Amino acid sequence: MSHVQTIKQFVLDEFLPDVSGGDLTTDYDLVATGVIDSLGLLKLIAWLEERFELPIDDIELDPDSFRTIDAIDAFILRAEPATAG
Amino acid sequence: MRMGGIRCEHHSRSIVLENCLGVVVQHYSSNIVTRFLTQVRRRRNEPALVWRHADVSYGALHRRACAAQRWLRSLGLPEGAPVAVRASKTPETIALILALLADGRPFLLPPAGLAEETLAALLDKAGCATVLAPEPGQFGPEHDDFGDEDGELRVSARPESIGFMLTTSGSTGLPKIVPLTAEGTGHFVDWAAARFNIGPQRTVLNYAPLNFDLCLFDIWATLSAGGRVVLVETDNATRAAYLYDLLERHEVHVVQAVPMLFTLLAEGKRPLPSVTHAIATGDALTKRGLAQLAELLPNARLYNLYGCTETNDSFLHKIDPAADHTPLPIGRPICGVEALLVDPGGEVLVGPGIGELYVHTPFQTPGYTDAALNTPAFGPHPTYANDLRYFRSGDLVRRTADGTLTLEGRADFHVKVRGVRVNTQAVELALLELDEVAGAVVFALPDQVAGNALHAVIHRRDPESLHSLAVRAHCARRLSRAAVPTAIQLTDEPLPTTSTGKPDRARIKQTYLEGQR
Repeated sequence: MSHVQTIKQFVLDEFLPDVSGGDLTTDYDLVATGVIDSLGLLKLIAWLEERFELPIDDIELDPDSFRTIDAIDAFILRAEPATAG
Repeated sequence: MRMGGIRCEHHSRSIVLENCLGVVVQHYSSNIVTRFLTQVRRRRNEPALVWRHADVSYGALHRRACAAQRWLRSLGLPEGAPVAVRASKTPETIALILALLADGRPFLLPPAGLAEETLAALLDKAGCATVLAPEPGQFGPEHDDFGDEDGELRVSARPESIGFMLTTSGSTGLPKIVPLTAEGTGHFVDWAAARFNIGPQRTVLNYAPLNFDLCLFDIWATLSAGGRVVLVETDNATRAAYLYDLLERHEVHVVQAVPMLFTLLAEGKRPLPSVTHAIATGDALTKRGLAQLAELLPNARLYNLYGCTETNDSFLHKIDPAADHTPLPIGRPICGVEALLVDPGGEVLVGPGIGELYVHTPFQTPGYTDAALNTPAFGPHPTYANDLRYFRSGDLVRRTADGTLTLEGRADFHVKVRGVRVNTQAVELALLELDEVAGAVVFALPDQVAGNALHAVIHRRDPESLHSLAVRAHCARRLSRAAVPTAIQLTDEPLPTTSTGKPDRARIKQTYLEGQR
């Protein structure tokens, strides 16, 4: 199941309060454009852990996994089966 | 040669102008006015100025200066009290300045368009109780018909007398007042005239308003050397057709101006063959500007001249239009100039790298009128290797392995973000590339994690024409990762500006950042 809308809402609320949802595409590079900096990345990961109950400590973190909303969504999908397994 | 020093155009250690270019420096006490009077004696009927297409001879200008000196005397001003001259560029104003220089009376030339409050504060700082504003025609030409044998302008100025008080185009608040001595400006006009072949039968354009230091070159060096100055009327300074006609009609030989003038002249789409020397100064020539220059002025030697109001001109680069590319090098120190690059640790930079430019020139100011501003702006050699007084230019200069020097930007705009060196002005320039951006200012604010965090305040042309995502995407394409602003604030209000039209950083910060925090 896709979590794109949930992730988008989090990014907008947390990092882009001035931007409306329609302007943020799911392939927008959040890292290169400085929307998510190193501190932001920590915030995002903490939120993913809590919201999706992901055991992130066990997963290797690659900044590319958080570059776009699509990438974050794919990261969750990859991580979720790991919780089941 | 000292380690780390930058070699001068012609000599490595020459402080004495006589050594350079075979210039014969006149007697110690000679200054702009005594040089001018020598020209008056030699060429009374030759043109000194061209004003609205009419010649004003050296004799006529001298008579007006004598009339101005008599008028000054009639005012009963206290001995040595500074005055302000608030008048547009006319032969009368030039005559009045000659009279003030002869009297050795300091005079402030305030920038045009200052708010009344700022002007009042500036006059107060300069100690000017009197503001002089001569009427057009006040010292002539009706005076031309008599008083010819009245004798000469009486010169009581001494070498150390302050004449011009110019102002810096500061980016914040009140401009700083830069007083210049008779001796310093005398040295400068000798250099300029000799270096650019300014003298009898030579015509020089004056583009800058009278309160700009550029006038020391085009008006005052020319009048000191016996040449002819073609005055651009300030009100017409942006009219391309007027400017082109002025240069063509009066067969101007020497043009020194900001790059904007050359861009305006290039609109004529025809070359100006009379120009033999063209000097771009005060701003960086763009790639397009450089290409235009060579086409516009096919017979001219082209130069890039670097200087500050505090030191006057200090570096010169002869442009090779076929080989040079932008950013142009600033070149080599001109005669008598000593320069150093100093790294952030205060060490003199010897090899390649970036350092703040420290300059000592024979033309420099003894210091700002407001003595509190003089430290740390002026100071000794960082390792006391000599006893010269250096001006910390605040400009960062890069030296490449082959010794070429180029301007990097202002030292006060360089910050570190996550350990990476970022120039906030470069970020501003990148933001201004966006068509929707009408104005942009970038601040570095202390940040616990990053060291500094960049905050951009952007005035967009139309509401809703731009959102921060588009700005960020553009920055990511144009800038290093660390230079992408952390916070972007968009506004539909024009950003406040200073009296000289630059963004008023203090007010913008107060309005947009401090209100927010």
